[in-house]
Amino acid sequence: MTGKTRYFLVGSALVFFVGLSIGLVAYYGGVPQGLFAAKTGPAELQFVPEDAAVVAYANVKQVMSSDLRQRLRQFGGPSDEGRTEIKTATGIDIEKDIDYVVAFMDKRQTGAAANSTDGLVLARGQFDQVRLEAFAREKGAAIEDYKGKRLIRPNVEEEGAGTSRERDIAVAFLDNGLVAIGGSVVIRRVIDGPGLSSKSVRDNADMMKLIADQRDASFWVVGQFEALSSQAKLPQEVTDRIPPITWFSASGRVNGGVQMMLKAETNSDEAANSLRDIVRGFVALAKMQAGNRPEAQALWPSVEMGGTGKTVSLSFGVTTQLMDLMTPKKRAPGGTPKPAAPKPPDAPQKPAK
Amino acid sequence: MNSTTPDPNLSAAAAGPATPGPVIRQAPPFATAALRVFDLSLSQMLWSRRTIFLALVVGSPVALGVMFRILDAFGFAGTIRMGGAPVPGPAVFGSMIWLLYLRFLVPVLGVFYGTALIADEVDDKTITYLFVRPISRRAVLVGKYLAYVVTTVFVVLPSVVVLYLCVQPLGHGSLAEGFISLLTDLGLLGIGLAAYGALFALIGAGLKHPLVTGLVFAFGWEQLALALPGYLRKFTIAYYLQALVPHVMPAEGLGSAMQSLFRDVPSPTTSLSAIFAMTVIFLAIAGWMVEKREYILEQ
Repeated sequence: MTGKTRYFLVGSALVFFVGLSIGLVAYYGGVPQGLFAAKTGPAELQFVPEDAAVVAYANVKQVMSSDLRQRLRQFGGPSDEGRTEIKTATGIDIEKDIDYVVAFMDKRQTGAAANSTDGLVLARGQFDQVRLEAFAREKGAAIEDYKGKRLIRPNVEEEGAGTSRERDIAVAFLDNGLVAIGGSVVIRRVIDGPGLSSKSVRDNADMMKLIADQRDASFWVVGQFEALSSQAKLPQEVTDRIPPITWFSASGRVNGGVQMMLKAETNSDEAANSLRDIVRGFVALAKMQAGNRPEAQALWPSVEMGGTGKTVSLSFGVTTQLMDLMTPKKRAPGGTPKPAAPKPPDAPQKPAK
Repeated sequence: MNSTTPDPNLSAAAAGPATPGPVIRQAPPFATAALRVFDLSLSQMLWSRRTIFLALVVGSPVALGVMFRILDAFGFAGTIRMGGAPVPGPAVFGSMIWLLYLRFLVPVLGVFYGTALIADEVDDKTITYLFVRPISRRAVLVGKYLAYVVTTVFVVLPSVVVLYLCVQPLGHGSLAEGFISLLTDLGLLGIGLAAYGALFALIGAGLKHPLVTGLVFAFGWEQLALALPGYLRKFTIAYYLQALVPHVMPAEGLGSAMQSLFRDVPSPTTSLSAIFAMTVIFLAIAGWMVEKREYILEQ
């Protein structure tokens, strides 16, 4: 064996064993992410507890500045007056000052509040803390300091004012440009949370796998289907017939229109096949019902069903053209379409001299 | 008394020191001979022009994987899409193992190297020099076969590992998740190379145009036999090899559709036993053929 051959074999074996060692370390070390991969999801996920049932994210700035948003305004939503009012009172311009929001639903079983669900919304943006506190004081809210963070709670002295859940709502400034809105218990837990010993949703491999798939999305929600179905309060007859879904995710990518992707993960391949059959049936039924309507004709080509193994996915796109078709035409007060305005008569010609 | 005739009455001591008898060299044992041939053939095989082709073929999936990784690092996430949805790294890696390595690389390497083990020596007219050595012809074949296995394994398997590190984390896949599948893939690629090498060594030892025959077998007979229902598929190596793959077979084209339609998967034990048996039998027959056949060199 020549020296060159020996060096090649040694080098090759080195590459092989170094690569295998990296894989082995990842396997036994439980490293959930690939090497050199960027951190998944927004940084605020560190405030989301490990056992969060549902996590959501929305890139508010991107959505608000999109063509989609402009077209959706005609269907309703906060008017310009309302927006101005909020801005005057709080200094927050909903369309420009909020960069993104992260929300989670935390399913806890704690003593008397068994099976109660708490949630939190974390908003990142440009907030005038002084102005917000002044506005809160005006409305009679109490402002306290909790472990160095400012916590605003509504006036709890009025008996019977709102439900116990509403009385429990609080707002906290976790960081410069980061506001948390939700149950005061959850907020306190989040403020107590970040530290070396506490875990966040980043330690939940199943949830992070779902979040990782939403990298490009403008908005997404992922979580345990059970949490969603319990909140939806579906009838027993319906829940008995739905195949056992463990995880779900829904995401949208705003790009002119919006490209939606819905995914569900079941506990077995058979359940996934059943779910695919159900979804296929619904899509076929919807197509039949829609008939030859022009908006349906524009929507169907983008509907795609997919997924392999235990995963079922459904994607569809709502383009701006489709939204134009869906926009209701303006009608006269009597309910009949406005008649076309009559053409003005031609000006009489001056007689020739 | 004749002065030239030596006196037999002289004592042995007075006659001078005894000349040593002729040295009887014994042929080295089979294993030693095979290893010696392996040692010589390894360097020849590794630094031959054929290996440039091997490097290009093996390097292409790695280059592709590196390109995907760079695109992902620069923010072109979800570069690989199917049906509008980004395909995760593990699925891409599985597809590359199926389509690039198992269905193309392994048979091609087996054909190009295996058929050349004896055929190249015949074409270069150097086989005479090999066969006049006091070692069995079978040992020559086995030594060359071992050199082929080491060459291909030491080139292909590290490339698979590098590809795994590049592609598996794409779409936020997990290195940990796919590690056991990687070990399985490395194992089955190794035994695939050994099995195909043995088969094409047999073809190279016995037939006149082994390269063409080998290509027809690998990309004609095997694909056809796998697509047809019945027992014919059991006469292919791919049938047993594909049963061991941990990844889902990608659906591409009518051939794959037909193969998946009639797919009948043997158990891992059956597959391993069949592949091992085929390797041993093919090598044994090739060795016997090399022993018995008279290779006529074309003038």
